[in-house]
Amino acid sequence: MDTSDKLTLIVSYILKYAVFLSITLIIIGISLMFINGNANGVPISKLADFNNAQTGTYNSSSFSPTQIPGAIMSLDALGFISLGLWVLIFTPVTVLVSSLVEYIYVKNKLYTILTFVVLFNLMAAILIVPHFVKV
Amino acid sequence: MIDYESLGWFLLILAGGVVAGIIGSLTGLGGGSVLVPLLTLFYGVPIEYATGASLISTIATSAGSASTYTRKGIANIKIGVGLEVATTLGAIIGALMFEIVVTHKVQFVLYLLFGVVILTSIIPTVKRGKYEFPEEKQGDFTSRIFQLKAKYYDEKAGKEVSYTGVRWWLGEIIMFFAGLLSGLLGIGSGALKVLGMDWAMNLPMKVTTTTSNFMIGITAATGSSIYWYAGYIQFFLASATAIGVLLGSRIGSTLLLRISNKEIRWIFFSILSFLGVDMILKGITNSKLYNIPSIDGFGIAVASSVILILLLFLKITIEEGKHGYLR
Repeated sequence: MDTSDKLTLIVSYILKYAVFLSITLIIIGISLMFINGNANGVPISKLADFNNAQTGTYNSSSFSPTQIPGAIMSLDALGFISLGLWVLIFTPVTVLVSSLVEYIYVKNKLYTILTFVVLFNLMAAILIVPHFVKV
Repeated sequence: MIDYESLGWFLLILAGGVVAGIIGSLTGLGGGSVLVPLLTLFYGVPIEYATGASLISTIATSAGSASTYTRKGIANIKIGVGLEVATTLGAIIGALMFEIVVTHKVQFVLYLLFGVVILTSIIPTVKRGKYEFPEEKQGDFTSRIFQLKAKYYDEKAGKEVSYTGVRWWLGEIIMFFAGLLSGLLGIGSGALKVLGMDWAMNLPMKVTTTTSNFMIGITAATGSSIYWYAGYIQFFLASATAIGVLLGSRIGSTLLLRISNKEIRWIFFSILSFLGVDMILKGITNSKLYNIPSIDGFGIAVASSVILILLLFLKITIEEGKHGYLR
């Protein structure tokens, strides 16, 4: 098996299992939400309401990713749902990192640089750009 | 005590996601292009949350289907990653533009743009599959520098197909706009990605569609994180649609293999054009330039989509005669 075949196989498995993991986490989270009747102390009726002009809609700006570990430890629904969503967002990062490693290994300089630029853009979108938008 | 009202609501959104996934997969336009109009026009979801939910669902469906195609070696990861340089940049700018549009409360622009994008995407999507194997061109300087010569095994043709991509720079320019639309509208922009790789770079259609599928996840993830911090991901909605659209796209791709009469896809193209026209009408009403009563809007959308699809159907049938695109 040559290196490009190996990369193809690795990428394929990452994609497959990441989606499975993410959807499983989301389903666990949603189940907990319905069983507990709330998530992160917010009643389910408010969580399900996305068009409330008076009290505002409960959205991702109200739950920081840093709250995920604590929420999971206390079996809170939002911890699992958020983790599931972040697994999805991070799946391409994993794919790009494995591509980068592969291109470094086969000494393909041009594609090492190009993959690095894509990874940089994606990481900038995750870590830097959000500071320029409202929170 | 389970809140049955919320549970019912959740299942209803999930069902909408399944429908969007099926239509998106059968037409090849992707779940997001159906999900956003469905949520905004029929579920009353504000476009910012519909777009956020759509981006998340897009990553899930892209990863799910791309996994199969990359394993079969049809999707070209090298070309995909190379083009993502422009797409990710476009997605960042698109997501920031989205934020500006929402902050300034001019969301009607998004409805208008969405409608136009759906309607213009239908034509290249219908024509998809026309050139199964493009004539392998003499490579240009970009083919050599960016290593665009590759091959894959085509199961249907039972042979190895080799190809040489050309005009990498033009592909990059188109991909930038594909990324921009993805970040701005929460869709995968599959039609534009196909245009970039099929028309601009002369790649075989199978390589184009599968590589596009692989790329869509990276582009959508770029926009998603910005959406997250800006507060456009609504957990309840995004969870239901991620599961629903993924499920729907699986059903859709299974159906696609079983449907013997491909003409049936025209029904779904009609639904898409209806959604496109309806989005434009909603945009006009929301802009407060002209108020179109919803019942009139419905009639206009139905009539114009029927006319549009009939014209397109006739044009393509006449043009192609014996080898209809959809066969």
